[in-house]
Amino acid sequence: MKNGYSNDKEKKKKESIFDLSKYIDKTIRVKFQGGREASGVLKGFDPLLNLVLDGTIEYMRDPDDQLKLTEDTRQLGLVVCRGTSVVLICPQDGMEAIPNPFIQQQDG
Amino acid sequence: MTFQQIDLVFIFAELVDKCIGSRIHIVMKTDKEIVGTLLGFDDFVNMVLEDVTEFEITPEGRRITKLDQILLNGNNITMLIPGGEGPEV
Repeated sequence: MKNGYSNDKEKKKKESIFDLSKYIDKTIRVKFQGGREASGVLKGFDPLLNLVLDGTIEYMRDPDDQLKLTEDTRQLGLVVCRGTSVVLICPQDGMEAIPNPFIQQQDG
Repeated sequence: MTFQQIDLVFIFAELVDKCIGSRIHIVMKTDKEIVGTLLGFDDFVNMVLEDVTEFEITPEGRRITKLDQILLNGNNITMLIPGGEGPEV
């Protein structure tokens, strides 16, 4: 039994379900636990999803801000992002803000 | 794993390693930021820093300036900015 288990472990290498190498040198947006958002050019990454971003802009959320990103942005330059707190990665081009589609009109 | 991927695997540790001895600005998941001189780190990215200044972003002010050394728990670290001086206040 034990031999079977260790064989299994050897075959189970750490494979990413998603290949970030296609985003290298492209601008991506990253969202973190805690509500922070940042965008920058992806320079490197590792299987643990730690990222290296260049020319990073950070967007902060305020209580009144909600999703108005222009409020508090700052330039951070070269930044290392911890994979443990990354929740979302998407290309900067592939997204845009839209009006809330879930608001329903209340009839009197 | 392609050859290129193997190179990239080490880029994180390399970059942080280059920072050892210089100023680094650490942004937490919360509104707290830490600026200090990096002395070292471990596999979990717990960090040992020196000459540390702690910033709270929301109340708009500098909080505590600590000397000696601190051990910063890597659990809540979101971003590491080498050579960063912290938020402008």
